[in-house]
Amino acid sequence: MASGKVENRVRELRASGPGMTQQALAEAVGVSRQTIIAIEQGRYSPSLEVALKIAAAFGEPVEWVFWLGV
Amino acid sequence: MSDLSFHEKSAWGTLLATWLIGILYFNSAWDMWQAGQLHPASNFGLAAGLTALLVAVLVAYHMLIAVTAKPEDEDERDRSISRRAGSIGGAILTVGVIGIVFQILIGGMLGDPVAGSPILIANALMAVVFIATIVELSLTLYFYRKGL
Repeated sequence: MASGKVENRVRELRASGPGMTQQALAEAVGVSRQTIIAIEQGRYSPSLEVALKIAAAFGEPVEWVFWLGV
Repeated sequence: MSDLSFHEKSAWGTLLATWLIGILYFNSAWDMWQAGQLHPASNFGLAAGLTALLVAVLVAYHMLIAVTAKPEDEDERDRSISRRAGSIGGAILTVGVIGIVFQILIGGMLGDPVAGSPILIANALMAVVFIATIVELSLTLYFYRKGL
């Protein structure tokens, strides 16, 4: 049974490969850097639109980047 | 302050300024009331003067933070926080205003002269607006720090 809390691997994906700053990801997605920080720390669950944009920025499927915690 | 967004800095400054000027207003109004000097004209002067001071302080503060950090457009998180804090602040305002209306009507039916005092009604409404604003801004900051 899922806990209902949305978890993510945004920080991990950002740090992998060539790396991407929070600011660069924020600009790519159209949110503030503080919103990216809040998403990485699990303090904010983004809308579907922003989740899809973040997944697209990493070239990954959205369900790989975000999932419901157990 | 560097990890705070423009909107969070704005909420901090607005909370602090509203709190300080609100306390100054209610302290002064209370002192004038005790001295028998709180009349509609003097109350209006006090309220108008401190409102102008609050506006001037907030304009100066926002100019300062706009110089140190570029103002950003609201994103979806800012809007969610603003909506949630605003709805709670709005509920407090509604309950407070309805409470004052009932106080006036019931006091009037019972012949309570205090219930019809414009000074008391005005200051009770000011207190409700003050409390609702403080709660809304405090919740805004709480949601920014702890999450929605």
